[in-house]
Amino acid sequence: MTPPSNTDPLILISIDGQTLEALPEESILACARRHGIYIPSLCELNDIDHAPGTCRVCMVEVASQDQASAPLLAAACVTPARPGMAVNTHSRRAREAQRLQVELMLADHNQDCATCVRHGNCELQDVAQFVGLHSNRFFDRSRAMGRTVDRSSPAMVRDMSKCVRCQRCIAICRQGQTVDALVVTGTGLDTAVGLHHGLSQAESTCVTCGQCVLVCPTGALGERDETDRVLDYLFDPEIVTVFQFAPAVRVGFGEEFGFPVGTNVEGQIIAALRQLGADIVLDTNFAADVVIMEESAELLRRLGERRRPTFTSCCPAWINFAERHYPDLLPLLSSTKSPQQCLGVIAKTYLPERMGIDPARIRVISIMPCVAKKDERTRPQLQLANGMREVDLVLTTREFARLLKRRGLDLRNLTPSTFDNPYMSAYSGAGAIFGTTGGVMEAAVRTMYRIVNGRELEHTEVTPLRGFEGLRTAAVEVGGSVGTVKVAMAHGLGPTRELCERIRAGTADFDFIEIMACPGGCVDGGGNLRSKKAYRRNALKRRDTLFAIDRANGVRQSHNNPQVQALYRDFLEQPFSERAHQLLHTWYSDRSIAMTQTVKDVWDEITMSTTIY
Amino acid sequence: MTSIAYGFWDGQTADLRTGNTSLPAGWPELEGFDFFNQGNPIRAFIGDRGFLVFDDSVCLIDAFRRQMEMAAQQSCGKCTPCRIGAPLIRDALASYAQDRPGPLDLDGIIELARQMTDSSLCGLGRTAPVALLGALTHFRADVEAEIAQAQPLPAQHGMEYMTAPCIEACPSKINVPRYIDYIRDGKPSYSLGVILQKYPMAATCGRVCVRFCEMACRRALVDEAVGIKTLKRYVADHQQGPNALRFTRDLISRPLPPDMRVAVVGAGPAGVSCAYHLLLHGYHVDILEALDEAGGMAAIGIPSYRLPKDVLHSETDIINSLGGRFLFGQAMGRDFGIDELFARGYRAVFLGLGCQEGTRMGVAGEDQATSGYETGISFLLQVHDHIAGTRKTELSGDVVVVGGGNVAMDCARSALRMGAERVHLVYRRTRADMPADPSEIAAAEEEGVIFHPLLNPTRVLLADGRVTGVELVAMRQTEVDAKGRRGVEPVPGSEQLMNCDTLIAAIGQTVQSGAMRPEDGVKLTRWGWVEINPFDLATSRPGVFAGGDCAFGPSTLIHAMANGLQAARSINDWLQLGHTSFFPRTHMRALLHSRKLLAADFAEVPVKREYRVHHPELDPEVRRTMFEEVEATISDEEAYREAKRCLRCYRIYSVVTERPIPEGAELS
Repeated sequence: MTPPSNTDPLILISIDGQTLEALPEESILACARRHGIYIPSLCELNDIDHAPGTCRVCMVEVASQDQASAPLLAAACVTPARPGMAVNTHSRRAREAQRLQVELMLADHNQDCATCVRHGNCELQDVAQFVGLHSNRFFDRSRAMGRTVDRSSPAMVRDMSKCVRCQRCIAICRQGQTVDALVVTGTGLDTAVGLHHGLSQAESTCVTCGQCVLVCPTGALGERDETDRVLDYLFDPEIVTVFQFAPAVRVGFGEEFGFPVGTNVEGQIIAALRQLGADIVLDTNFAADVVIMEESAELLRRLGERRRPTFTSCCPAWINFAERHYPDLLPLLSSTKSPQQCLGVIAKTYLPERMGIDPARIRVISIMPCVAKKDERTRPQLQLANGMREVDLVLTTREFARLLKRRGLDLRNLTPSTFDNPYMSAYSGAGAIFGTTGGVMEAAVRTMYRIVNGRELEHTEVTPLRGFEGLRTAAVEVGGSVGTVKVAMAHGLGPTRELCERIRAGTADFDFIEIMACPGGCVDGGGNLRSKKAYRRNALKRRDTLFAIDRANGVRQSHNNPQVQALYRDFLEQPFSERAHQLLHTWYSDRSIAMTQTVKDVWDEITMSTTIY
Repeated sequence: MTSIAYGFWDGQTADLRTGNTSLPAGWPELEGFDFFNQGNPIRAFIGDRGFLVFDDSVCLIDAFRRQMEMAAQQSCGKCTPCRIGAPLIRDALASYAQDRPGPLDLDGIIELARQMTDSSLCGLGRTAPVALLGALTHFRADVEAEIAQAQPLPAQHGMEYMTAPCIEACPSKINVPRYIDYIRDGKPSYSLGVILQKYPMAATCGRVCVRFCEMACRRALVDEAVGIKTLKRYVADHQQGPNALRFTRDLISRPLPPDMRVAVVGAGPAGVSCAYHLLLHGYHVDILEALDEAGGMAAIGIPSYRLPKDVLHSETDIINSLGGRFLFGQAMGRDFGIDELFARGYRAVFLGLGCQEGTRMGVAGEDQATSGYETGISFLLQVHDHIAGTRKTELSGDVVVVGGGNVAMDCARSALRMGAERVHLVYRRTRADMPADPSEIAAAEEEGVIFHPLLNPTRVLLADGRVTGVELVAMRQTEVDAKGRRGVEPVPGSEQLMNCDTLIAAIGQTVQSGAMRPEDGVKLTRWGWVEINPFDLATSRPGVFAGGDCAFGPSTLIHAMANGLQAARSINDWLQLGHTSFFPRTHMRALLHSRKLLAADFAEVPVKREYRVHHPELDPEVRRTMFEEVEATISDEEAYREAKRCLRCYRIYSVVTERPIPEGAELS
């Protein structure tokens, strides 16, 4: 049997009386959507090509146009349009089936909506409205509260009492990120999503990239909320709060308050932090410049030693991925800490020394487009000699929005402000583009070129690095003793895995590799604002704004950032100095998960169909 | 013969309590419905299309509660209506049965049951409440009368059985949709666990099974059958290396005393499977094998390009992991007989001798051939030794293989690999009649085997005892006979010669002569096979059971493994209870099968066409030169994609009976 060819005749179907053209094997839902006809749906997510057909909300009534047989109900998301089909999306029977489905779904759904992180931004609430739900006959609180909640991870909470079993998280983890940490657990009413081999989130192969959070339609998946702890710090007079926010936060936060996608709201964020009572507002971009100083020096040193390739180390989900899944590649990772951690450690050493503050009073709070940064903060090797954490709290962009709302702040009502810290808030254009794929690479190339040649790169913008494919490669002429540097950039863990496999197999030939675990890089990181029924729609607009920030910046290379120059002059001496090594470099360890099972383990778990004869 | 009191089937009702005596057309034949087991009348039967009540005192609410309990237990939990609907309906029926009506009234039950049948994702949810809906729609007065009794309703006896066309088609009754589900769920080790409940040789079966399941697969009504075998191989191969699923002795929950010893004769698929299940039941098992390695026909009869030896042996080694012993070089008839086995203290014996002797064609010249003539099985033994490196066989010139089965295909493809210039395959019927697996036929043809259907050997041509060719007669198909079959007959005067250097007659096999001796006290059939009772696989000698090819003639790996399981169950019953016992699920299957109750009709809602994933396979030109495995395992991504194609055609059938249905000896 051969698959249908493109020359198949036109498929004409009728939806709600309109005759429409369908594509071969197109679902009724996709066809309706393409023609502007709305069908309520929940589990399906077109942006990641996910239509498991499990929630059964998108029921429509289907008949043959000749009315030869009785109309049937069909799930529009998985039922293909066939010639001569007559679809009714809002017959009484279809509407009642849609409504009953949502009512049934609520039977074991934790409905403490007011306490939910997704309150007001929930696809289940939406769909309940869209189907006209007016009763809740089957809800049983004990059934809902008996479901699992996994709070083991410092980064994420998995609250199965709010899971609708759409399996989008599994799809993004499996096909999107190729981490494949998630499985369906249980059967019948016990069905949920869990980690392989019954492991807890913290002990699993999950790398906390948070992409699953971005696609979850409800509050079942979310970051560990730490807004209360931030408020504790803010209202504690003994504590000096130091805030930092990541390059990508300023271009991915305005939407929450009605700004167009990609608007740079750096000034508004600074103003908001001041209103909240922040003592010191710093920029992670500054630390990004510091990272470039260290990483460029490290890379040139490793190239001199003929150790290649070198992987970047800014992305904590990538570090987790390497430690969990490719521990054999750990010697290839740059030892330079991430910008978040560099800022934290400098803010607790250099800054108090300059400003005359007792470092013990300082608490560093980061605002990150990232879930894994919460996990990174707790790494045992990322603390100061006195046992203090380099970073004390991490808020995702979403929590920051929640924090502002808790304090009654609306970004639109704030007059943009500017950084005022003379030590750690200036940044170059190179630091600004850290938030998008290829940005770290480009920033490093600008500085390496200067180190090798003693002069600046003629064309500051290295356009060959700026594509958007998941895995890109380029040869960059750095000149001098270094010559051509072969680089690769991967964003998303699927392309990353592909690259890692090539390196393992010895078929990859690269000097320097930039990895960002989230597809699109930090601008679409797992800690960003959530969208409904959409995935990764905003990366390019946010990225353009980052490039614009670079272009508008008078200083475009990390080494030309005057505050960075001062840091080295007055404190660190030079990249890779003993002090820099002590404060700004780290190490990694094999944290792979041994997953062995015996047949007995498995047989004890198989709850269905154990009858042998 | 029993008669229906009332019922609902395929949308039609009948009520014979009102004096009406005729049933609507198309209702199931009722022969065999009198008793479920001896002396235990069937009071009601519930299926996927309706229900039949034979005893009008049956309590419908309890009967449907049992049916919905099974649905709730077996619901995979993916789709909303079945996941929640099934337990809600079950609870509502249970409340009525206990005379404590819950929040859901009969109209509420109807609403949920209809939602399940109309909108569930798979066959389980779509069919489980059909009978209940029929009752509440057409026999509501009977249900309301039960409720009006205002006292707890009696719990009834009976059993529920969930199955699917692929499960029924599989001789081992592997729960195919379940193991495919576990792949979708991301738990291939659980998939393997489902298969290992039936037999230990999953990777072997995933390579060489003839796939009765795929022939029954309803996905073929949409596009192509699900690649069930491909997925089986995937889950088995997934479990290799350091993280492989391990067999440990703690699987044996109740080890039996040291004198509970069983001898298994033959380390083929039947023997290994039987030993595996006996070991799991706590018995002490020795496998006596004439050769020096385990696997039987799977080891010597299947070439390594289809089944690598390390794959097979990693699976036969499971016997050792469970504490079983292989005693190699022990040939029945030569080294021991059944009396000796009992004298050595074995309490029971399983005969899995196989059919090791090739059937001869019975044509002139055959018996005089001193070289260049082989039976299929003797040739495959040479192939085995050739690959093992113990004895090289180089072929040259033309090779003629006679036969159209899998053994013939294996011989033909192996002959190419051993240097034959041309390999001709001669078969007396048409190509379409060839019993070999179609994929094996296609692979042989791709590799260059020349097919000659409708030709039959009549004489072997010899020169000084060496084969130089074969005389063949053309065959033609006869008219369709009364049974709808077409035979073949020789075309007079059509004799022709085909020159060849080697002639391989791969037309059948029988039990090795001399293996079974009269003093063993085991009756043989006129074909020379061990005579058995097909229900419990007992031979004519008490305590001796048999299965696989030696009992049924040359058959498939999966049949042999199924026999091993069945015999283990019988041996356990025989040793624990002193007799073999009734198999309720086997009886239920027979009931479904004989009445054709498991319909293969198709759900009317269209399904997207998504064509199946195929094994990555090497180029035929490269393939024909090598004995290494020619197919690779599919990737994780392909496995997920293929697993999603399963439609889960589950159905639940249940009976209400007068008395409890007996089970065999309790199993670990």
